[in-house]
Amino acid sequence: MRRILALVLIALFACSCILAQAAVEQQSTAQKSEIVVFAAASMTETLTAIKGLYEKENPDVEVVYNFDSSGTLKTQIEQGAECDLFISAAQKQMNALADKNLIDRSTRVDLLENRTTLAVPKGNPKGIRSFDELAELLREGKVLLAIGNSDVPVGQYTQKIFAYYGIDENAIKSNLTYASNVKEVTTQVSSSSVDCGIIYATDAFSAGLEVVDTATKEMTGGRVIYPAAVLAAGRNGDRARAFLEYLKGAEARKVFESVGFAYAL
Amino acid sequence: MDWYPLYNSLRIALFSSVIVFFAGIFSAYYVARLPRSAKGVVDVVLTLPLVLPPTVCGYFLLLAFGLNTPIGRFLDSYGFRFVMTWYGGILAASTVAFPLMYRTARGAFEAFDVTLSEAGQTLGLSNAYIFWHVRIPSCREGIVAGIVLSFARALGEYGATSMLIGYTPGRTATISTTVYQMWRTNNEREAFIWVMMNLVISMVVLLAVNLLEGRNRRRSAG
Repeated sequence: MRRILALVLIALFACSCILAQAAVEQQSTAQKSEIVVFAAASMTETLTAIKGLYEKENPDVEVVYNFDSSGTLKTQIEQGAECDLFISAAQKQMNALADKNLIDRSTRVDLLENRTTLAVPKGNPKGIRSFDELAELLREGKVLLAIGNSDVPVGQYTQKIFAYYGIDENAIKSNLTYASNVKEVTTQVSSSSVDCGIIYATDAFSAGLEVVDTATKEMTGGRVIYPAAVLAAGRNGDRARAFLEYLKGAEARKVFESVGFAYAL
Repeated sequence: MDWYPLYNSLRIALFSSVIVFFAGIFSAYYVARLPRSAKGVVDVVLTLPLVLPPTVCGYFLLLAFGLNTPIGRFLDSYGFRFVMTWYGGILAASTVAFPLMYRTARGAFEAFDVTLSEAGQTLGLSNAYIFWHVRIPSCREGIVAGIVLSFARALGEYGATSMLIGYTPGRTATISTTVYQMWRTNNEREAFIWVMMNLVISMVVLLAVNLLEGRNRRRSAG
């Protein structure tokens, strides 16, 4: 019995070694025609659609995405993650990479513009109608608001909005719930777990959420700009540059504008 | 330094342990009595949260108790909700810790010498009396180990908790969600403090388990 068990375990181990080797080999051949794109979570739907279009025109290329908060992605890149193209939801994260000479500055471009909005769940249970009203409710402690944490661009824009209204974030902490990227905030609003959430117009559109107010440039401390740049250490610089050019083009533009992005070019 | 996460984690773990203690021993007792066909299926369902990723458990809990669901809406009409409150933390922790208590209790009950309860029956004692005063004390070490393990699991629960109750400082923050948020917002000092605190608590809990096992071995050896 014990011998049979030992044989089974050895067989499993051998199989997994062979499979691992095969996977590694497959990856190294795939790397020749792969572009790794790290992009802000708010671009999930649009970039996924664009991938389909691009790969149809360029069948020898595979676009691989990593969607998450720009802060998370920036940290991953700084720690050595393999990436060819980075698109951030704010200048802050791109600047941080530029300061560390991790990007090819000649490729850096302001690609898209978004708007920060106040979204509510179906039926708007608390009847919130504006950021002004939200500020009042927060001061009175009568609302639960979902926001991104301070590492997430939409969370950083939210902090600017709080500053605009003179709200002390520490004073209202028990009325906030912090999420680690904008999609998590969106899901919390969609599932009615919170009374409202501060997300991008594009996320609200893609999730079919009702937007009750949109933040102005003054409230967010400037326009919400998405910069893009090719990574200096990326293995597929030429293909990444080509994909970035495609993102600037008319077909990609149609997809972005269909959910509410504006072009910043 | 905000100590709320410690208070919140401990109270969630304590409440969960109490719930799971009763749910676990009763399930273990009654499942053993099921007909063979039902026993296997029920056992698998009750053990499932042990092997499922906590995020999967969290997803199912949201599916059942989220505010868009019948149960969620019903509870909300009475002003009670699991989502975004520390009660949700108890629900999440109990769900993932339950299989630990259940399996340990079943193991202990199966090792129980049933002639002891039969002797009680010949003396005319009720089944409830036999359960609480003969069976449970006889399976004491296994059950206490189960309590300690489920307490530890409840204390360290992250995935389902995060999905169900989010992160509201001073209201729903636990040690595990706080560590994640502190790390994510580059607050290394606080993250490290909580990591160390959790480490100390976990080591104390495991020492307790070892002491109990040691005493058990010495008793049965003697």
